[in-house]
Amino acid sequence: MKLWLYIIRRILLIIPTLIGLTIIVFILIHVRGNNLIIAEYLNPHLTGAARDYAIQQLYQRFHLNDPLFIQYFYWLYQVINGDLGLTRTPIYSGPVNTALALFYPNTIMLALVSSILIWIIGIPIGVWSAVKRDSVFDQSTRVATFTLYAMPAYMVYLLVLIIFAVYLKWFPISGAVDPLLLQGVSWYVNGISYPTHIIFIDALLHGDINIALNSIWHFILPSLGIALGGVAGIIRLLRSSMLEVLDQDYIRMARSKGISESEVINIHARRNALIPAVTSFVYGVAGLLGGVVVAEVIFNIPGVGYWTVQALLNNDAGGILGSTLIFGIILVTASLILDIIYAALDPRVRY
Amino acid sequence: MSEILTINNLKVWFHTRRGTFKALNGVNLNLRKGEVLGLAGESGSGKSTLGLSIMALLPSNAIIVRGSKIILKNRDYLKYFELFPEEKIDRKFKIKKNQKIMKHIRDFLAKIRGKEVSMVFQEPMTALNPLLQIGYQITEALLAHSSINLAKRILSRINLTEDDVREILKIVKSSKNVEKDLNEFSKLKKLDGIEDQVLYILNRKDLSTIRKERMIYSLKEKMKNPLTMSYLKKIAENKSIGIYRFLNRIPILKRYLKGVLIKEGYRKAIELLAMLNIPHAEKVVYMYPHELSGGMRQRVSIAIALANNPDIIILDEPTSALDVIVQYQILQLISELKYKLNISFIFISHDLSVLAEVCDRIAIMYGGRIVEIGPIDKIFYESLHPYTKGLLRAIPKISKDIKTIESIPGTVPDMRNPPNGCMFHPRCPYVMDVCRNKVPKSIEYSKDHFVECFLYGE
Amino acid sequence: MSKNIGLIGRRNYLLKQNPRIEELKISFKIFFTNPTAVAGFVITLLYFIDIILVQFFPSFIGISDPNRYIYNFNNPVPLPPSSSHWCGTTAGGIDLCDAIIKSIRIDLIYSLFIVIVGAIIGLLLGLVSGYLGGIFDEILMRITDIFFSIPYLVLAIAILFVLGVSLENIAFSLIIVWWPLYARYARAQTLSIKQMTFIESAKASGTRDLMIMFKHIVPNVLPPIFVQISLDLGTVVGVFATLAFIGFSPTANIPELGYLTSLGLNYISIAPWSVIIPGLVITVFALAVNLMGDGLRDVIDPKRRSV
Repeated sequence: MKLWLYIIRRILLIIPTLIGLTIIVFILIHVRGNNLIIAEYLNPHLTGAARDYAIQQLYQRFHLNDPLFIQYFYWLYQVINGDLGLTRTPIYSGPVNTALALFYPNTIMLALVSSILIWIIGIPIGVWSAVKRDSVFDQSTRVATFTLYAMPAYMVYLLVLIIFAVYLKWFPISGAVDPLLLQGVSWYVNGISYPTHIIFIDALLHGDINIALNSIWHFILPSLGIALGGVAGIIRLLRSSMLEVLDQDYIRMARSKGISESEVINIHARRNALIPAVTSFVYGVAGLLGGVVVAEVIFNIPGVGYWTVQALLNNDAGGILGSTLIFGIILVTASLILDIIYAALDPRVRY
Repeated sequence: MSEILTINNLKVWFHTRRGTFKALNGVNLNLRKGEVLGLAGESGSGKSTLGLSIMALLPSNAIIVRGSKIILKNRDYLKYFELFPEEKIDRKFKIKKNQKIMKHIRDFLAKIRGKEVSMVFQEPMTALNPLLQIGYQITEALLAHSSINLAKRILSRINLTEDDVREILKIVKSSKNVEKDLNEFSKLKKLDGIEDQVLYILNRKDLSTIRKERMIYSLKEKMKNPLTMSYLKKIAENKSIGIYRFLNRIPILKRYLKGVLIKEGYRKAIELLAMLNIPHAEKVVYMYPHELSGGMRQRVSIAIALANNPDIIILDEPTSALDVIVQYQILQLISELKYKLNISFIFISHDLSVLAEVCDRIAIMYGGRIVEIGPIDKIFYESLHPYTKGLLRAIPKISKDIKTIESIPGTVPDMRNPPNGCMFHPRCPYVMDVCRNKVPKSIEYSKDHFVECFLYGE
Repeated sequence: MSKNIGLIGRRNYLLKQNPRIEELKISFKIFFTNPTAVAGFVITLLYFIDIILVQFFPSFIGISDPNRYIYNFNNPVPLPPSSSHWCGTTAGGIDLCDAIIKSIRIDLIYSLFIVIVGAIIGLLLGLVSGYLGGIFDEILMRITDIFFSIPYLVLAIAILFVLGVSLENIAFSLIIVWWPLYARYARAQTLSIKQMTFIESAKASGTRDLMIMFKHIVPNVLPPIFVQISLDLGTVVGVFATLAFIGFSPTANIPELGYLTSLGLNYISIAPWSVIIPGLVITVFALAVNLMGDGLRDVIDPKRRSV
């Protein structure tokens, strides 16, 4: 019961963060001047007085003559009503809303699969290298994590690409799904799959196992790359917190009860060691999402990150707005989820 | 009185990068059934190391030197291991091999730990796992050693018939020695474990007699599903549980198998906590350590130590971190337990006045040796060793004339290079030539009063 | 007479064991007995020597134009490492060894700039907000919260959108992204030092706030910040190169490692060395800086000092 109260309180607490997020996005978009905002709406064929008149109209429509902080409220109202403006990039032109529906599923898939991989790989390795301290396993883990930690993100992805796609040819080099498979599929229109927009789930819903498997096959390599980039930090953190926990009095107490060593580690030590890992994984998620951007560029996956880069290179305000907003929301949601996991792990924070 | 634990010539050293730290240098000690033995000394005298050696909970850099004997209930449990002899512990010492030996000892003694010897640690604030419920932490100790008892308790409630209940109530009402009669009854009817549960209800002070009777009636439980029943029977008969071990890994089945035992563990935990005068024990088991006060936590630690009816409980400074009133309550609880349960205690403390409250005998430790051991009156009124005398003088007394507290000059020796001869000679006011070269032998000065000092004997 | 002895005694004391010098000696001893830290230090030093050589004595190591790649369009397809090209060549026939030696300079100088400026801004703000507390502290924490609510790479891209794409602006955007981290860290350190008794005793003896801050708190906050800088340097080099790699290097012909890596991207299946080698150069640097930082952390760790 108390956990529920904590969750509700924590959800209320993200409202100020979200407001801050919108302020920052608003500033980023408006600081470059008004011309950029209306650029997408202006008919490029107009000239002279007609053009001036159209500009006037747009200024009125977006309240650009008002003071900045009043503009913000108009803008916020517009955003809350779901109107995020227009975007014009080589990979997509149209309303930002549609662009998000088009791009965010891939990003979510990547982020989810890779964070699951990080925990699956990271927890056992981190715990074991602390338990078997100074063993060969521990030493080699430390060398590997140190090297991975030092590598810039793109380097990890390129290495994964070279090893698994170029040399071993196990996985495709790029893309989110084989476009040949999607030809003439009724639920896939203009690059957007329906109803959930996530190709994998939609394919399963419509019973196209082939397409679902193909999309998974395309996602393995980038997810693995992102996971490898992020796992080093988790392993290092878990190892050190596990070593600290193993020194605690309650571990000695647990041993004094005569329970087996595996129970001491699995029940008493591991959960305690996970707590600092969970709390600092909030920062890890930020890094991971950055990794998603780079991975989408390298593996040519049409996701929000790829779109962001295109938006920057093409001076497109709508794209920057949409992607910053959606990445911020993903990060805030992730930290909310991590906080809830933390509260579920540790009874002390629920008060 | 019979001896339950004998320690002979116990030497425990620690291998460190800056030399070998000689924590224990030939400790001789015996513990009798049902007594409280106090262990006093300055910090660094090796008292905690002694406690940890008996539990085999030494850190991995510890070395138990060959020739050490720890005899628990007539079994010398160090004799199975190839310990390093003293002369081999030098620069070329094989630390890895020793670590393996220590690990073997630790694993070998897991079945003794908690069952025959258990320990209560100094810091109640950190000794309990902050993430686990109090009930679970007690249950864990029970599951490790007495899952048979837990299974029997469940089965006894299931096998209980209406007639049995009536008979129990008759015993409760008419018998003069309820405990004994209930024991006999449960043996006769093969209802092992029911007597504890009945006694717990009877001993509760917050219920009326009618409520108690109603509770005894409601002890009877329905049959569980066949899988659970066969699992419980196997455990109760101490048979191998082969396939169930695998089934216990499956999350849903686990609830029906191990989960039943854990639930029973919580019931037993409530009884244990109630015995230690913890109010609302049935709520406390579902709490987490941070919700309890220091004194309560220390009681929980004691409950964990008591869970499997051990022969020996080692109390490592159990009251040092508590305030005076709670300290008094804990001390009272320990003396109560001593009379009730016939358990032997080793009470480690640096505070002689605390030991005076509860102990039968006191051993004084200095430099990893027991320099004086004897009954409490002898130690306090006829102390022999200069160190003991110094310790006693250092206890602050409330009197008008003396404003200063005396202390013993000098400091505890550096146990990496301990002094030759008697460890205490650099600080001893009565030092003689012989003290600097030879280690004094233990002398029985009067009955049961031993001292290691050249001032006495020939 | 007695006064004289006192003076001599004091002078001897100063000559023999100035506590600061003693402390420094211990620090050096701890650092230089750690082989991995020394290795990291030496490698880092090599990179910095490379910068100095390229900057001031380019001809000394046989580099004709330190600000530009030298194309060889006769042989635009990457060649594997050989005796004439030790590291091979990348797209456009650029010799990798030559290119890498030039590129290190830009990456390292910009990263150092980012880390140091970010640290100074963060340190000042964190120090003041930690020391003063109250509303100022609250506002700063909310601001950093907002900064942390957007993934830093995305935020950097968004700021680049405002500033316009150039190497300098990449550096500025990363400073804006990085300072909140230092602010938080400095604030936490300040808070923990503020709790200590010597601050209270300084306050009790009437020392002014500004004095306490610079005389007592700053010297204690600086060492951990310094360690953090050395640990962050590796990450920042990576992020800087990543941004350049994605394609935010404005003019194609500035020697920069991320851009150099991206040149080889089109040839990844036939010439993997053209992406692996420049990437490894950054990895080795980040590794070295991390090892050095770990060594430095040991130096300021009181647990390690007392041994």
